[in-house]
Amino acid sequence: MRIEGEFTFDGPREEVWELLHDPDVLARALPGTETLERVGENVYAGEMRVGVGPFTAGSYDVEVRLEEQVPPERYTMIVDGRGSLGFARGKAEVELEEEGSNRTRMRYASDLQVGGKVAGVGQRLLDSVGRGMTKQGLEALNEELRARLEGGPGSGEG
Amino acid sequence: MKPPPFEYRAPDSLGEALDLMGEHGWDAKPLAGGQSLVPAMNFRLAAPAILVDLQRIDGLAGIRETDGGLAIGAMTTQREAERSDRVAGLAPLLHEAMPFVAHPQIRNRGTVGGSVAHADPAAELPAVLLALGASFRAASRDEPGGRWIDAADFFQGLFATALSPEELLVEVAVPAPAARSGAAFDEFSRRHGDYALAGVAAVVELDEAGRCADARATLLSVADGPFVAEAVPATLAGEEPTGEALADAAAAVAAEIDPPSDIHASAEYRRHLAEVLVRRTLGRAAGRARGDVAP
Amino acid sequence: MTAEGNGPVGRAALRNEDAGLLTGSAAFVDDVHLPDMLEVAFVRSDFAHARVGGVDLSAAREQPGVVAAFAAADLGDYWAPGPLLVQPPPIEGLEFHARTQVPLVRDKVRHAGEPVAAIVAESRYAAEDAADRVRVDYDPLDAVVDLEAALSDGAPLVHEDLGSNLAARAVQERGDWEAARERADLVIGRRFRYDRGAAAAIENRGIVASWDPERGELEVWDTTQAPIPIRNGLAGMLGLSQSKVRVVAPFIGGGFGPKIMMFYPEEVVVPWISMRLGRPVKWIEDRRENFHATTQEREQIHDAEIALTREGEILGVRDTFLHDTGAYDPYGLTVPINSQCTLLGGYDVPAYRSEFRVVFTNKPIVTPVRGAGRQHGVFVMERLLDLAARELRIGPVEIRRRNYLPPDAFPHDNNIVYQDFAPLVYDSGNYAPALERAVEAIGYLDFVERERRGSEDGGPRRGIGIVSYVEGTGIGPYEGARVRIEPGGRVRLVTGVGTQGQGHFTSFAQIVAEALGVGPEEVEVTTGDTREFDWGTGTFASRATVVAGSACHLAATEVAGKAVDLAAEALDVDPEEMELAGGVARVRSDPSRSIGLGELAVRANPLRGAVKPGEKPGLEAAAYFGPDRGATASGVHACVVEVDPETAAVEILRYLVVHDCGRIINPRIVEGQIQGGVAMGIGNAFYEKLHWDGSGQLRNASFMDYLLPTATDVPAVESDHIETPSPLNPLGTKGVGEAGAIPVAAAFAQAVEDALDLPNLEILEAPLSPHRLWELILDATEREEGG
Repeated sequence: MRIEGEFTFDGPREEVWELLHDPDVLARALPGTETLERVGENVYAGEMRVGVGPFTAGSYDVEVRLEEQVPPERYTMIVDGRGSLGFARGKAEVELEEEGSNRTRMRYASDLQVGGKVAGVGQRLLDSVGRGMTKQGLEALNEELRARLEGGPGSGEG
Repeated sequence: MKPPPFEYRAPDSLGEALDLMGEHGWDAKPLAGGQSLVPAMNFRLAAPAILVDLQRIDGLAGIRETDGGLAIGAMTTQREAERSDRVAGLAPLLHEAMPFVAHPQIRNRGTVGGSVAHADPAAELPAVLLALGASFRAASRDEPGGRWIDAADFFQGLFATALSPEELLVEVAVPAPAARSGAAFDEFSRRHGDYALAGVAAVVELDEAGRCADARATLLSVADGPFVAEAVPATLAGEEPTGEALADAAAAVAAEIDPPSDIHASAEYRRHLAEVLVRRTLGRAAGRARGDVAP
Repeated sequence: MTAEGNGPVGRAALRNEDAGLLTGSAAFVDDVHLPDMLEVAFVRSDFAHARVGGVDLSAAREQPGVVAAFAAADLGDYWAPGPLLVQPPPIEGLEFHARTQVPLVRDKVRHAGEPVAAIVAESRYAAEDAADRVRVDYDPLDAVVDLEAALSDGAPLVHEDLGSNLAARAVQERGDWEAARERADLVIGRRFRYDRGAAAAIENRGIVASWDPERGELEVWDTTQAPIPIRNGLAGMLGLSQSKVRVVAPFIGGGFGPKIMMFYPEEVVVPWISMRLGRPVKWIEDRRENFHATTQEREQIHDAEIALTREGEILGVRDTFLHDTGAYDPYGLTVPINSQCTLLGGYDVPAYRSEFRVVFTNKPIVTPVRGAGRQHGVFVMERLLDLAARELRIGPVEIRRRNYLPPDAFPHDNNIVYQDFAPLVYDSGNYAPALERAVEAIGYLDFVERERRGSEDGGPRRGIGIVSYVEGTGIGPYEGARVRIEPGGRVRLVTGVGTQGQGHFTSFAQIVAEALGVGPEEVEVTTGDTREFDWGTGTFASRATVVAGSACHLAATEVAGKAVDLAAEALDVDPEEMELAGGVARVRSDPSRSIGLGELAVRANPLRGAVKPGEKPGLEAAAYFGPDRGATASGVHACVVEVDPETAAVEILRYLVVHDCGRIINPRIVEGQIQGGVAMGIGNAFYEKLHWDGSGQLRNASFMDYLLPTATDVPAVESDHIETPSPLNPLGTKGVGEAGAIPVAAAFAQAVEDALDLPNLEILEAPLSPHRLWELILDATEREEGG
């Protein structure tokens, strides 16, 4: 499954970069994330429960690895999630571009392999679910960003 | 393909059912006809802790005429709606769409309310009821008489509705068609009864001069829920709904939607099918409004 | 010997088995319920290609209701790859690498759905709950999915030890293709793709095994098309004598080929579990498992060329193709050899060069599915002829007419080797009359002149297609049958082949009834129980009626001879004067002098006196039949379609089959086979396609997205028969089980092209879909506008 698109954050690029590397923020913003912790240099691990409406795509042990990082411009995210209903693996390439002084445009392109029970019967909805979750996650991140920026000077600097 | 363990409750009254839903919220799932939920459970893609079977509750099924149109009980089977003379008379669009809902075996079990509450983006009933301006009554432990929700507010994306986890959909109200109006439904599916690759419910209301007083189309299978095409009223209002105007409206809808891809249809093909179906259904709806196409 | 002319053979008798099937009393494997029976759920790999580090069954074993859990290591010495079922045929220069499936994955998963562990529990529910708790340490590898990529440098290897994904390569040749090409006025070359489908029998696979430790006997109920070879193989694997193993193939809800595949992992593991635990064990495949674990067919890519004169006479054909065998190749080369051999069709093709390469991929195993590779050959040849006809401005009917083998050409040696290792020799045939009859029946000329196309303004358009095919059926090695007249006068027939809905209880009964002068309803048929009959191979290659049917005929004829001799002696007349009719043996010139068959049966088993030396007691005989080679069936399919050029929806308005399966035993059954075959062919042409992603995941593993055509998509097939008897068997019959399925995609493609009438529209793939057809229409339209 390929998901690509653009999203504009209401904040400066360095702030966005920070945000995208904060496991606590990611855990709050990314749909279905139950836990997410930094377990090593640029490696995060946690648990996600993915579902839509009455459907659950199960619980996944997820490892996220950040590679090819060029702060604050781009990085690649390698995802490996496994659970009893199958797996989701793949990588996403993320680029951040300044759009004026206070906005950041993100370009993302991800290639995700979805396998197992979900893959065999969920194909009709995967595209919509993938797009929906991406949108939901990015919007939640933007909210986090705004909250952080409104939280006063210094709160997100550094 | 066996479901994981779950608790099964079959209350005899709506009050009991509402109590159960109020108590268990997200953990409970109402079971109406079970035509989507049960397969999902067997695939282990749905795992509610408690199933609240609504089959034994009296008074949730049936179709009656009201002042302004029709009231359809949520537990009315799709088959009953399909065969109802009242539906044929007062909601011809719904009548036309019913045979497209899956297969007769499924319609024998599947319910009107179940399909609405499930809010599958490929389902016919949400798109049709949205096109008809229906409204839905949702009851809960705190509000057993229910609250009314307009269709326009009800559908909120992929399998998402305005219902809270404690609420049950109990009734659907469908307004009677306006004078000088016509409607049409069509969809394109691989085999009859399959999830449609695209589908359209269209309504056209004419003024005395034969121009569009109102025109609308809702689409299924092109978005994460039933999709109201803004382009249709925008293009057709005040226009005579013929040839070029209809083609323009259809092209505008094709530009407006951003459909998903799957193995049966790419986004491009879906867009194309939507355009063809919008043009055809609006044409047929307009013809019916004029009285020159058979209902 | 029987009264002639009005016997049961050739009559559209109602099916003896239908009462039980229609009222639900017929027993299938899942109807077997034994005391203390356990159920098994298999843990299957989600990954298509992955190394397996370890399998942790501890959490699963602790689940309520779980009795045992096994991984590969638990099988000990029992663990072994399955047998190579079909050796490669004797083709010069042939390369073949056998790699067969394993009972449970030990080190590496080679396709998604391969079983890794078996959970045994008090119920399937409990077993599945526990299966979800098995943790397998997978190290995912890149998958091989695409056939061409499989052979490219650096491709991941399905079997590392081979050093490549090449499973086999074979070249067969007759005449001089290069010279033919040189001499031709027209050479047309195209690339053709045929994609994968599932056989999708309505009953999935299933097995019940019950070990009786006291008697040391194993009973197995299996949805197999080959109960006797399963019995023999299981006995060998489990170290039991064959007489201590009973395999029953009861009523089976469709075979279509995958159930002739033998020693599926579950077939090997479930009996072992029963012996290990000393309790009956059941495993019933669910639909999701069926999509991943039951064999499939049809993925091939052909690069083919045809050379013709300007009159449309075929000078030669060259074909190079890739065949996908999936992760293993236990069934040898049957499918690609069938493709290679069937391509020639009923045509005189002086020069033919065909090369195939078989590749391993990370997908389920490929074994024959109804048609078994013949589809591909027919599709390529028929499409090439259509393209040539278009180019040469000869009609599709005419170009076929000009190239058929004449009726005096038989036997016709194609000078290549067929799947049964015998030379591909057509025993008999008469092709042009079938074509003319189809042209007449579908109203071809009228259609072309008057009905064709219809709307010019974007509305629906109509088109017609007509194609032909030749099919090798009824191959060896042999089958057997035993016929006995019971003292009550009823007849008992037992044969070793399994039955999956083909109507054997009726057609075999008709054959026997014909020889014995009784009604077919008097004949009780037993099939597929190794306790009842010991020898045979199975139901495949459209062979049951031809081969087992001939054995039935021979056994019944022997019994008839015994009955006549006995009656002649009792009535003191010459046996030549006797006939069997109406359940009695009677004097032909004085039918009032007769003895009932039941009474003869009693006399044949005397309680006093002596059975003469050299005679056997009872009115019973067993007989075996093995043909030298297959009987060549043939036919013509024609259809009329309506296409919506805007949406690319296609509706089949009419479908007609003129078929030659030699002598017909029961026209009703033949028509049923054709109707069902065409339904399957329509699936292949327009609906049924397995969609894999790049990592080897099947994206449509359910009937929601895998589109079996239903009653709303399949028209009532009109059929007509031509009977050119086969000289290779005593009945003169030929197989019909696969005929309906074979040329449908070719007929469909021709009709759709005809309807749309776009100069650049060429349908070179099957299955098509509305989406794909829409793309082809766009492409053809753009090319036309572009130049």
